[in-house]
Amino acid sequence: MFKIRIHGRGGQGAKKAAKMIGMAAFKMGKQVQDFALYGAERRGAPVMSFIRINDAPILERGHIDDPDVVLVLDRTLLDLVNVADGLNENGMLLVNSQHEPILDTPAVVKYVDATSIALDTIGKPIFNTTMLGALAKLTHIISIEALNWAIEEELSHYPKELIEANKAAVRKCYEVAK
Amino acid sequence: MKQTLVTGNEAAAWGARLARPDYIPTFPITPQTECIETLAQWGADGELPDTYFDKMESEHSVMSAAVGAAAVGARVFTATSSQGLLLMHEVLYIASGMRLPIVMATVSRGLSAPVTLWSDHNDFLDQRDSGWLMFHAENNQEVLDTVIQAYRIAEDPRVLLPVMVNMDGYVLSFTDEPINIPSPEMVDEFLPAYAPAHTIEKGRPITVGPPVLEDYSIFRAQNHVAARNAFEVIEETQDDFEKIFGRRYHMVDEFMLDDAELVLVTQGSMSTTAKAAIMEMRSEGIKVGLLRLRVIRPWPAGAIVRALKDAKAVAVIDRNLAPGKGGIMFPEVVETLYHLDDRPLVSSFVVGLGGNPQTEVKIKEITSKLKEDLVSGQPRVEWNDIEEM
Repeated sequence: MFKIRIHGRGGQGAKKAAKMIGMAAFKMGKQVQDFALYGAERRGAPVMSFIRINDAPILERGHIDDPDVVLVLDRTLLDLVNVADGLNENGMLLVNSQHEPILDTPAVVKYVDATSIALDTIGKPIFNTTMLGALAKLTHIISIEALNWAIEEELSHYPKELIEANKAAVRKCYEVAK
Repeated sequence: MKQTLVTGNEAAAWGARLARPDYIPTFPITPQTECIETLAQWGADGELPDTYFDKMESEHSVMSAAVGAAAVGARVFTATSSQGLLLMHEVLYIASGMRLPIVMATVSRGLSAPVTLWSDHNDFLDQRDSGWLMFHAENNQEVLDTVIQAYRIAEDPRVLLPVMVNMDGYVLSFTDEPINIPSPEMVDEFLPAYAPAHTIEKGRPITVGPPVLEDYSIFRAQNHVAARNAFEVIEETQDDFEKIFGRRYHMVDEFMLDDAELVLVTQGSMSTTAKAAIMEMRSEGIKVGLLRLRVIRPWPAGAIVRALKDAKAVAVIDRNLAPGKGGIMFPEVVETLYHLDDRPLVSSFVVGLGGNPQTEVKIKEITSKLKEDLVSGQPRVEWNDIEEM
């Protein structure tokens, strides 16, 4: 089973990002489970969301304590939340950041400036979808095609230009991630 | 069959949509709101042209409106959670006493004070004696399927009682899982339009819920008989459901019980995690199984006895607490087994209050403690989440 935990702040789209990862993996024929855990929803507060991806039906439920990948949407959380909790040397921490974060973790630390990519491509700081391009590139757990499908499904109520801009941002983030 | 990724809230909304309700009174409360929001969005989009929505000012009013609508023969759906369910409490007895087949999805959440938004079962089990039939689902597929089944059971002339379909907050209500959404044609075949025998109609007045004083006990007895009649109606409904949809449900869910010496009794979504732990323990040679209580009212004593009579030790895992007493389901299970000549030892574990995570590790700990109890011959009553109390 592959487990992803997302850390973000209320309003940054941690829940939506989890749903899109879930949908992309589901589109690829996987069993999935995604959900967000929060208290009283409020903008700016630290929030988490979770995705489990498996070939067989998923029996584990709830909070993920032993993730394979942790996605951090907002680098200011690094001082507030132990985002690396439960990651081992096989794990990966992927942070939305302009420069390399210094973190005490046995896991591989990667970063990508999703905020700048989003501002350049979408014109708005919509970095939750953007970052998924890096996730696809660095983990191969979801394909860019499945991700595009998930974006089209999840954003189907929005204008076509916004959907295309999100897909372009994901593509750009996929290209630059390393 | 094609699968779709939906949350527990959306699964309940799909169940309601497919049942074609006439009337949905609503009031929001986390973690249920998404269910009525989904239905309201469909209503606004014209997907539910024959359903009338009402926005009420409280849950007490929601259930009062549900009672009024059901009394004039409408098929009614609503949903609530936690404090909202408690605010409905008074009117729940009126719905069951008037024998109105309302179906309500409830989303379990720990009760205030202090405040949590996460799940435990005190809100649901607080309605245990309200005369409603009570189902508790394990996963999102079961939520949808049980809402559809609930209308068949509630509206059967042998029953005519309201039904609650419970799911755990967050862990189901906000969690996407792949499920099969049946076609409307299949559901129409399974669930015909509601044809009430007795309704308040213009020009044909009847009296419902009047003062009866010394005759009160007759009506209470009829309520009890109706709830017990539900046993055979539930069985028939589950049989017919399997014929059309291919999914089999039972009043209790038995998992790896053949030859099981140790049995865990659970409720709701923690059962899934427990099943994973049991499969691992089985591979280590531990003879352990699980009994999930799916139907809480009517209380399926016969099915529970059949499932547990050969066990040596049983752990009742309560995700609820009656302060000053203990777990709520523990005494119900003990009472059910008490009359057996060779009854198993029964221990009590209270866990997971306010959403405290129930992991496979915890389930294994409970199982090894139960094994110790079997060796010592001494059942235990334990709070598993906190070391010292």
